[in-house]
Amino acid sequence: MVSYRVSVDIGGTFTDLIALNEETGEIVNVKVPSTPRKPAEGVINAFKEFLNNANPEEISVVIHATTIAVNALLGQIGLELPKTALLTTKGFRDIIEIGRQRRPELYNLFFQKPRALIPRRLRFGIEERIGPKGEIIKPINLIEVEKLAEKLKREKVESIAISMLFSFINPIHEQKTAKILNEKVKDAFISISSEIAPEYREYERTSTTVVNAVLMPIVSSYLNELKVELESLSVKAPLCIMQSDGGIASKETAAKKPVSIIESGPAAGVIASAFYGNIIGNKNILSFDMGGTTAKAGAIRNGVPEITTEYEVAGKVHKGRIVKGSGYPVRHPFIDLAECSAGGGTIAWVDEAKALHVGPISAGAKPGPACYGAGGEKPTVTDANLILGRLNPQYLLGGKMKIYPKLAEKAIKNEICQKTGLNLVEAAAGIIRIVNSVMAKILRIVSIERGYDPRDFVLMCFGGAGPMHACPLAEELQISKVVIPPNPGLFSAYGLLAADFKCNLVKAIMKKVEELDAEEIEHVFDVMERKCLKNLQFQGVPKEKMLFVRQLDMRYFGQSYELQISTTKPFLNENLLQAIESFHNKHEAVYGYSVKDEAVEIVNARLTAIGLVEKPKVVKKKLEGKKVSEDAVLTKRKVFFEKINNYENVTVFSREKLRPGNLIQGPAIIEQYDSTTVVYPDWTAEVDEFENLILKFGGK
Amino acid sequence: MVDLVTVEVIHGALTYTTEEMGIVLRNSAYSPNIKERMDFSCTIFDQKARLAAQAEHIPVHLGSMGLAVKRGLEKLDEPLENGDMLLFNDPYISGTHLPDITLITPVFYKDEIIAYLANKAHHSDIGGKTPGSMAGDATEIYQEGLIIPPVKFVKKGKIDKEIAGILMSNVRTPKIRMGDLRAQIAANKLGQKRILQLAERYGSTVLCEAMEEIMSYSERRMRNEIKKMPEGSYSAEDFLESTGTTEKPVKIKVTITLKDENLKIDYNGTDPQVEGPVNAVLGVTLSGVYYVLKCVTDPSIPMNDGCYRPVDVYVPEGTLLNPSPPAAVAGGNVETSQRNVDVLLKAFAQIVPERVCAACQGTMNNIAVGGIDKRNGQQWTFYETIAGGYGGRKGMDGVDAIHSHMTNTMNTPIEAIETIYPIRFLKYELRMDSGGAGKWRGGVGLERSWMLLADSATLSIMAERTKFAPWGLYGGKEGAKGEFYIVRADGTHVKLKSKCTVKMKKDDVFVVKTPGGGGYGVPIERDPSLVLEDVLNGLVSLESAKNEYGVVIDLAEAKVDRESTKRLRCKMKTNCNTGEVNG
Repeated sequence: MVSYRVSVDIGGTFTDLIALNEETGEIVNVKVPSTPRKPAEGVINAFKEFLNNANPEEISVVIHATTIAVNALLGQIGLELPKTALLTTKGFRDIIEIGRQRRPELYNLFFQKPRALIPRRLRFGIEERIGPKGEIIKPINLIEVEKLAEKLKREKVESIAISMLFSFINPIHEQKTAKILNEKVKDAFISISSEIAPEYREYERTSTTVVNAVLMPIVSSYLNELKVELESLSVKAPLCIMQSDGGIASKETAAKKPVSIIESGPAAGVIASAFYGNIIGNKNILSFDMGGTTAKAGAIRNGVPEITTEYEVAGKVHKGRIVKGSGYPVRHPFIDLAECSAGGGTIAWVDEAKALHVGPISAGAKPGPACYGAGGEKPTVTDANLILGRLNPQYLLGGKMKIYPKLAEKAIKNEICQKTGLNLVEAAAGIIRIVNSVMAKILRIVSIERGYDPRDFVLMCFGGAGPMHACPLAEELQISKVVIPPNPGLFSAYGLLAADFKCNLVKAIMKKVEELDAEEIEHVFDVMERKCLKNLQFQGVPKEKMLFVRQLDMRYFGQSYELQISTTKPFLNENLLQAIESFHNKHEAVYGYSVKDEAVEIVNARLTAIGLVEKPKVVKKKLEGKKVSEDAVLTKRKVFFEKINNYENVTVFSREKLRPGNLIQGPAIIEQYDSTTVVYPDWTAEVDEFENLILKFGGK
Repeated sequence: MVDLVTVEVIHGALTYTTEEMGIVLRNSAYSPNIKERMDFSCTIFDQKARLAAQAEHIPVHLGSMGLAVKRGLEKLDEPLENGDMLLFNDPYISGTHLPDITLITPVFYKDEIIAYLANKAHHSDIGGKTPGSMAGDATEIYQEGLIIPPVKFVKKGKIDKEIAGILMSNVRTPKIRMGDLRAQIAANKLGQKRILQLAERYGSTVLCEAMEEIMSYSERRMRNEIKKMPEGSYSAEDFLESTGTTEKPVKIKVTITLKDENLKIDYNGTDPQVEGPVNAVLGVTLSGVYYVLKCVTDPSIPMNDGCYRPVDVYVPEGTLLNPSPPAAVAGGNVETSQRNVDVLLKAFAQIVPERVCAACQGTMNNIAVGGIDKRNGQQWTFYETIAGGYGGRKGMDGVDAIHSHMTNTMNTPIEAIETIYPIRFLKYELRMDSGGAGKWRGGVGLERSWMLLADSATLSIMAERTKFAPWGLYGGKEGAKGEFYIVRADGTHVKLKSKCTVKMKKDDVFVVKTPGGGGYGVPIERDPSLVLEDVLNGLVSLESAKNEYGVVIDLAEAKVDRESTKRLRCKMKTNCNTGEVNG
């Protein structure tokens, strides 16, 4: 029997379903319109279409990336947030609203703070207090908790967050509170800070717990509904959800900790990059995904995507970074992504003082770029690429979509040339240079800003628009090798099929290294490992498929931001010394100095358990000759290149017709169904045995 | 002439560099004040020492940087060489108070200086008579800490150990100081690297020309904005409630004159400098001017030297806002700077009423506490500023419990403070009825209290708005005034002045209540459902709902009593014959 692994990725415009034939490695693709108000509907529609040519029992697993969590918090899907209450230490119920007391915008007198997810009247202080060493300063008043439980029941609260001071060291008061609530308010979901995010910093820990509590009812009911509908189509395969850290989790696990699936979608592209990098033997990769409205960058080192634990959900993004205080902080591992408003549909404009800008506004799917002829009058990045000869001037999507270069020209002339005095070509080239500089910035954020030299990386470019901008971005960062995977437009959905199970735990340590012995840390790791093992087993991962990764969050005593240092099992005294040494070195690499005689503190121990899944088979093709066959040559057209500051007549190739081993000398254009690769002068393009396009600078 | 696309690309790169410098500074610093509260600022200057780019850090630092770099370089006897870094904190040169240490690094490209990097960071102690170096009763700058004139702290890439030695011998927490200084150096080094990369890429001529154009661009936009404002002369005044050594109010007066695309700001009529530490050096005054200018024009205009060109500022010497040495100035930064903004906004309220907010809390509530920790025999110092209410705005309430105007520092997590310092927190909550009533309510202040666990400690307060409340606009009421007191272990309350230094003993509880923001518009025009929301959330009391807003609430039903509200509001209106009342 045929067996398919199926992934479903919900995007802003389309819901993509990819089915991977586990035997042949062949891919089936279904694209249906997204249904933002009822996201499950689009998923089901995609399945119905897929099942026209397949049997439900042929599906072995369904892997799903969902934006439901983040959209609920952004208020985008018209959902009332569920009635949620917060229980915290008496005197501190407003920590969640005061936040870090910082305003997100400095010079805007009309700024707003994100509204509190739980209104003040549903935030309650409980008499109790635990001190910085975990000592009980004031025992918890359980009678008060019981009375409150009655009230919450009367108020029909759907979900409850519990977060008390210093619970990351001593969770006893939170646990006692949870026990009572579990008994008395049976219908409500409960989230406990010492379980959801046991790290110091009360605001961030509470915020994470509150976000989890608010999401629990929404995500549970969404996943349940989806499961029921899939079963009504006789799809009985297990349902897994992509987490923000790039691992997958079973539906049940995700429903319990929805805070872990917030950035479910964007993680997939980075996972795909890591997977492909592994196949072609490149372990250090900068992943670059450019679609219609945004571009996203991530870094992969030694085959592993970089992870961050500092994140604000629903926050505003400014120049690739999230503006502090504009969203809700969540302490959970996220794939470290930098994002900017730069895609094919991003609009170029001129301000009153005659400066040219690109973004952040996008023409979106409707009306889209001016050249689509759907009524758009504003010039976009796609229009600029068209004027410069990079896009096919007649049609896109293999002929499905007609293109109108005159409209692009008109839009650029009206909106840019008339206001700046630039001519058409200068304006179009300017738009591309500016959008490239914005996108180079996000690549810098995930590399240079994190202490890594981009020259040590390979650039993986995908998304519909990514391959058009690959060469100039690589030059800007002095990267000499670029990989364009076979189906750049479907690459993210493909990543879902390559994701492993992941389970993350963290435990606060908060001690100087000289106050610690290795045994104590080994014990902490051991406890976490056993918990994760149980969790993965529950999700059906066999023990021999499990991997455990240990990390320590370390800093100089007195600092308050940590660096993550990898360590090993078992953790012995020599490993402790090694960790300290690694910390000094990393501090030197990231911040330019280290102080060997300074006291080092271990703040947290982190454990990531990985449950390996069977990876998609990628067929290795036989390399043929370098020479491109005649039938792969489509035409010739004039393409503008910044370096020569002029148009050059270049050959346009069909990617579908190129054979492994073929070598093309730039400048050249390579067209395929959903993407166009621009090979700049001084670059070569080679098709490798996995049908990737490998672009090399100066390569002959 | 460099093309406009290259200008835009270089502009982006420069701004990004200042942000990146900030990240390095924050991540590698030691003190919570820098790491957690991010009390620092990073900038790039062109070769003529004019501000070319800045990150959005702390407004009171940023506006002073232009003056600091210009004066700092002027004071040099020998020119800066490659690898040198200039360090100073003399307020009469650097433009802000002693705890702010400025570090300037020249960028050499082919033996020529093509740019300067400058950052300023607030160090939590720089010596002087009290821990935290913010003595509320200082009468001369010598009492406020170590004064460092511009010195080459880094010479040819190496820290000058002798200068470092002097510095470390004069501060209470030398190790942390050194850690923070190293972070400042790391930030400028990073900036240096980035500028050199740009010079390599585009050539130094293009780079310098681009900086010139970035400044002209901001100038053009600023002039456009000014041109749109109605011509005329507009005055406003407000007062500081005390000076630290006397309870006598001090006046700040400003007159703004608009003509064509130029703007004149004249502080004639401001009181002479005072004996206490609330004098604001010129850099602080300018910071306020530049901050307000950006707020009331278009916050998206890139801040640089070009923005300053259409503005002519006159501050008479020897006054509160441009004192002469040796006047004490620690509080000028934090308190007088806020009042300066209040006065400027009051004046702009006559020019662009829909673009300003009512008065915010108007203080930073600086608290410094320290002593000797018996547990390890070491000195400890903890410094913080506390948020309050933001002023109401047209169409929007003021934000609750937030830092306003000249500062934007973060709080330190309670779980971090209690782990390090002998302090235990008892309360950190929003303060009911503190937001000024208005159609758009002023933001509420907050209440923060903690107990001292050490045997003794010295507490310094530097604050304002405990006597004169934050004002409302267009019928909006005043926000609540601030309060400070100590509850002794025996239960007695000791009320504290807004500027003072006192001793605390074990188990004493220190309580701060911060001011609320002023309201905007007439309170009885506020949508009653918003009043109900505030009452249910405990931000406005039932009594205030009735007395201030004319809204009667049925608490049991959690709804507005529409009939009684209508009647009450009618009665509260001066002429009540239409019967048509909002609500």
